[in-house]
Amino acid sequence: MRFKASIQNINTFTKLTASLNSLGPLAWVKLSDDQVCFTIIPEQGTQVWAVLSIDTIFETYTVQSAANNVINLEVPLTSLNRALKSALNATSAQIRLTKKDNMPLLALTIATTSSSNSYAAFPTAAANNNEDGMDNLDASFGGGARETIVTQEIPVRVLGPDTVAGLHEPQCREPDVHIILPPLMQLKSISDRFTKLALAGAKSGTTASRSRLEVAANMHGCLKMSIKTDAMSISSVWTDLNNPELDPSQVAGGDIGIAEHPSTRMKQLGSADGRSEEGWASVRIDGRDWGKVMSVGRLGGRVIACFCHEHALILYVYLPSDNGEDESVLTYYVSSYSA
Amino acid sequence: MVVLNFTLVPEAAAKVHDLLVCLGKFSDTVAIEARRDRFTFTALNSSKSAYAALTLDGKQFFTSYECVPRHGGHDGRFTCSMYTKALLSVFKGRLYDPLGRDGAIDRCEVSVQDRPDQTECRFIVKMVCNQGVIKTYKLTYEAVEVMHALFDKNVAKNRWSMNSGAIKEYIEYFGTKTEMLDIFAGEDGRAVFKSYTEKISNGKEILKHPLVTAVAVNTSDFEDFNVQPGLHIIISVKDFKAIVLHADTLKTSLKAFYSQPTRPLQFNYGCDGFLCEFTLMTSGDYNAGATPTPAPQIPSRPDSRAQSTTSERTENRSMRSDMPPPIKPASRRTGRRNPGSRRVPSPKAGEPDPDSLFVGRAEEDSHWDPLDYNNEEETLGWDASADHEAAVFPTFRDSGSLSRTETEDSNEGVAPTQRVSQIKGLW
Repeated sequence: MRFKASIQNINTFTKLTASLNSLGPLAWVKLSDDQVCFTIIPEQGTQVWAVLSIDTIFETYTVQSAANNVINLEVPLTSLNRALKSALNATSAQIRLTKKDNMPLLALTIATTSSSNSYAAFPTAAANNNEDGMDNLDASFGGGARETIVTQEIPVRVLGPDTVAGLHEPQCREPDVHIILPPLMQLKSISDRFTKLALAGAKSGTTASRSRLEVAANMHGCLKMSIKTDAMSISSVWTDLNNPELDPSQVAGGDIGIAEHPSTRMKQLGSADGRSEEGWASVRIDGRDWGKVMSVGRLGGRVIACFCHEHALILYVYLPSDNGEDESVLTYYVSSYSA
Repeated sequence: MVVLNFTLVPEAAAKVHDLLVCLGKFSDTVAIEARRDRFTFTALNSSKSAYAALTLDGKQFFTSYECVPRHGGHDGRFTCSMYTKALLSVFKGRLYDPLGRDGAIDRCEVSVQDRPDQTECRFIVKMVCNQGVIKTYKLTYEAVEVMHALFDKNVAKNRWSMNSGAIKEYIEYFGTKTEMLDIFAGEDGRAVFKSYTEKISNGKEILKHPLVTAVAVNTSDFEDFNVQPGLHIIISVKDFKAIVLHADTLKTSLKAFYSQPTRPLQFNYGCDGFLCEFTLMTSGDYNAGATPTPAPQIPSRPDSRAQSTTSERTENRSMRSDMPPPIKPASRRTGRRNPGSRRVPSPKAGEPDPDSLFVGRAEEDSHWDPLDYNNEEETLGWDASADHEAAVFPTFRDSGSLSRTETEDSNEGVAPTQRVSQIKGLW
């Protein structure tokens, strides 16, 4: 079993781990020849299934294992994120799977030329004779004698193929409405405020359902976020958002499939000013959990929300990529509470 | 009768704040030892594995300093102990602020009231603020005998020193919950600071194991590095962090002195009449067998093993000779204090300036963190101040008793958003 890669985009990787960490402490990481998958399945709340193309975060990537060159790991995200943060000013960073005292770990080796190197009072000859390198340093760093090398060791668990065989991505019926979300910072600050108001009211009462946000969208570019308690009812409506066209090649049944697609029927209902009562597909979600989902906004991706009325909300977060070919997608499955 | 009076400029008072913050990380109480020529704060942690002595020079550090101990002639001393938190609530942060904002002081006067004819013994701190406000704090203290840790620099052959700012960068790489720090002198021109936790756990618990972080530094990045190659020495990472962060407030170099594992290690640093010494317990080899050559044998010196009170004098004398030479005479320095030319300390990196107009980069990312709804600070509530005069939205009532009856009849045509007082001129 071998995994080794240099990290090409430390910033993206750090933000990715931070976003995922807000939903759960542990990630199932699946490394294979052509992609890297991060999956968070918390005990309750939103699941994330992220599929990244290799070059979104890595370059010179090698993965080898007896099981079709696939390695499954369980990784503590807080430690991984902490380790990556120390690489933000790095000149280079490498990650590899290794073992120490029979315990598997991900070793992150970071070379930095921090300002500290300039504190040196005098250069010494000693800097030139480190050819043999230290046992825990990669030999390729031998030349960078002026650099400070930081190694971070993240404990991990290797998962066998049978352990992960039972984990399946949630299945969902075709959505009623799909819409591109407004900037997440906007959405987050409004939903945070709503949740806070609902919770402030809940201190006297004790109902847990107090922080339920209702999110709804129609096929005419409208998104509505509202919260209702005994004492108040607030809602915000966005209009002029984009409902992307479905691609016949991606929908089961092609053109006929599109004609029979629930969203086609939803197009007949509702209006673009968001005032109509009809044509909304809505879900009820937990405000706190939604706040954690919104954490993904730091990655700056384009987000398409798919609403299955009173059932689930699925967010597809497309990470910006350089070549525009293999896109990396984070899929969030948020299930709707019944009333 | 004890006489102890001294005065501090705001910069020095701020240094007292910083040192108390540091000592607070070691112990709940600090001991004070005042002598004729110097003033020392000491702290010993509860497990007695770390001892700190921070000495302020009577002439250099203070504007004025007077100490006449009850007895003992030249070597006499006044000692007491106080709660670190109590002192910290007096020596708050921001005592020194060139812009004179809230909390800034003009000077700080301290005296000790310890006379048999007075009913109360108190440690009295007077903060003279800029607007002529004087805040007087009277603190209780406990008379204690102050002990000193012994450290023989002559046997501590392994030495290094490094800019504290650089080490501060290294400790920022460390994971949050680690316990130990292994300082290793490699044979390849590198020194390694490794933070780790000894606890071994199994199964699922493994993933909760804190990060192991090793920072390999070129020995040429040290100002001075003279350590037996292959030597590991292990101390508490928490102590090390506290020391480095404090050394960084003074922008000096941190110097380390040690002989071998299980023998004490000392860090010291200081400037301008301020000398900080931390003596720490060390533990054995992290990787057994990595220290093939035995460290120099410690000659059994009878005096170095003697009881603290007797030998502490010799120790102190050597300490005094280690005080850095005065840079400028204190009197001249203070005499020339010119507010315009005073060097404004640069705001500490990593500690965001709350008044800054700029949003820090690190802060920007934290906008994306899920909101902590348990944080009460921003909760919406009622304004219970009953201060209607100062209310943002003036109402009719705020024009007070001013002839309400008089205007009552003619009130009808007035828009309710307008004050009666504003339209009064029309009649």
